[in-house]
Amino acid sequence: MQKLKTSFYAAGLMAMLSAGTAQAVDKAELIAMGKAVYLNKSKGNCVSCHQIEDADATQAGNQGPPIVAMKQRFPDKAVLRAQVWDATVNNPLTIMPPLGKHWILSEQEIDAVVEYVYQF
Amino acid sequence: MKIIKMMTLSLGVVLATQMTQAADSGFTLATVNPEADRTALQNYFKKRFPESEVQDYVNGIYAVDADSRAQWEEIEEFPPYEFAVEEGEELFNTPFANGKGYADCFENGGVGIRQNFPYWSKEEGTVKTLEMEINECREANGEQPLKWGKGEIAKVSAYMAWTSRDQVFDVKIPEGDTAAMAAYLDGKKFFYAKRGQLNLSCANCHVQGTNIRIRADLPSPQLGHVSHFPVFRSKWGDLGTLHRRYSGCHKDSRSKPLKPQTETFRNLEYFQTYMSNGLVVNGPGARK
Amino acid sequence: MKKALIIVAALTLAPTFAAAESFEKAYLKARAMYGQGAVFEWQGNQYVATHEEESEANVDATEANAQMMIDKAKAKNKEVAALGFEWKLTGDILKKAEAAKADGDYRKALDLAAQAKYHARIGIQQYHYAQSNWQLSVPE
Ligand code: HEC
Ligand code: HEC
Repeated sequence: MQKLKTSFYAAGLMAMLSAGTAQAVDKAELIAMGKAVYLNKSKGNCVSCHQIEDADATQAGNQGPPIVAMKQRFPDKAVLRAQVWDATVNNPLTIMPPLGKHWILSEQEIDAVVEYVYQF
Repeated sequence: MKIIKMMTLSLGVVLATQMTQAADSGFTLATVNPEADRTALQNYFKKRFPESEVQDYVNGIYAVDADSRAQWEEIEEFPPYEFAVEEGEELFNTPFANGKGYADCFENGGVGIRQNFPYWSKEEGTVKTLEMEINECREANGEQPLKWGKGEIAKVSAYMAWTSRDQVFDVKIPEGDTAAMAAYLDGKKFFYAKRGQLNLSCANCHVQGTNIRIRADLPSPQLGHVSHFPVFRSKWGDLGTLHRRYSGCHKDSRSKPLKPQTETFRNLEYFQTYMSNGLVVNGPGARK
Repeated sequence: MKKALIIVAALTLAPTFAAAESFEKAYLKARAMYGQGAVFEWQGNQYVATHEEESEANVDATEANAQMMIDKAKAKNKEVAALGFEWKLTGDILKKAEAAKADGDYRKALDLAAQAKYHARIGIQQYHYAQSNWQLSVPE
């Protein structure tokens, strides 16, 4: 709970900006990374609970709802990101792991998997 | 700095007790009611799976999922644990170096007693499991204890379960024994608390998540969980004890693994077996 | 005597505590929605969503600093282990941090130790949360 305050403000903005450009340049790469996160057991392992219209997502589980109509369900992509980062905010009992809050995925991996599912 | 930390901590405790008091129906030593827990759990599954008979829960996931049941019935036609039971019988009847044997350590010569485990030992102030007593028997007779998870101990345990088939579980929590009740409550709490990096409770999969696919796996209902152990798992290719299974599932929440027969796991077995009171022993079993 | 004092203090502190909680909420929300370095406002001030451990590791990449971070992470992990809530991978992350330090990659050692310490801290939170909320999923 540090009070970094305004001195860090500029630094924070710069971090966001550089992240922004990185994303713009490498969106395809980010999506590829996101797909790997989605499928990999030691990464997001989303496939164990969510079906998705991707031929590589075989033997998907159904503990969670299928990943469809993401843009309609989450007009604000940041809200989708928050669901992935910590699903317990909406449902403390959920089986879905808090992938960001428990640092299961890095912040970049979260961005990547969000980008990947946002196509569906 | 340190003082502030302490104060917030004690505040946390104050808040926590208030919350438990507000929501309490069986969550503290003062109010916990195992019989009510057992009935509530049965009712929960009756509602979820109205087609399934309570007595059939000894068959795990096969009690609630027709597809995997068909496959399993085929497996059971040539039970993969048959040899293990025979070997277990031989081990059971082979005398120790001092001439004594397992039969001398147990009630009724060790035959038909599986349903009495685990039990609360007042003298030792702890939950005793069958596997624990198998090893205690060995040590009392000058033999080395066996490894907990698989191998000989599972075989001896399998034979003892085999001789107890169709006996009814009737685990008791001695009346007025607070320590026994605390062990039960500890097991119950362990089962329902979320833990590990993946933030999973046993209940996430074996209550809420029962019969819903995680990848290609279907978690079983926790009712009946203990009845058929030790179990022959195709994945293991051999027989394993209940605590071997506990270790695996606990690790799946990405918690630091616990060793078999730790107090935590024995309390968990006490709780889970109480939940299965009224069901029959059907070990050893076969699972995927 | 001591106990009474603490409770009184805690009660008078309560409003601050509630406020602190909502700071935590605001922090987590920003971090969840926008990731590390997100800027958010709370009670008129601006803050950056950086984990305590990330700030701690944001020091010169020297051997001494790496060692200090590793020590802190180990101590935290001991705390959570004592509560029975240690996570599975934390020990490995710490080993990797030590290996990175031995290789002279102090930056990597600092970052890994920060993650390990974070895991331990959140594990402690998880323990405390469980104490008062485990019953939510018990069938009634
Ligand atoms: C262990 C099972 C599990 C895993 C693993 C899992 N989820 Fe979920 N997810 C759920 C469940 C169950 C829900 C339903 C909401 C709830 O429980 O709060 C859900 C909800 C969601 C939602 C909201 C869907 C909607 O339409 O509202 C999204 C998006 C989502 N998950 C994405 C992911 C992503 C991306 C991953 C991998 C990084 C993931 N999930 C991993 C179980 C899981
Ligand atoms: C991520 C989901 C998940 C979690 C969490 C989980 N399990 Fe399991 N468990 C499974 C699956 C899947 C199986 C194999 C299918 C089955 O239930 O037979 C299984 C099997 C079992 C079995 C054997 C059932 C049988 O019929 O042979 C037991 C006993 C068990 N788990 C106990 C536990 C306990 C106790 C915990 C908590 C420490 C736990 N599980 C946590 C998914 C889980």
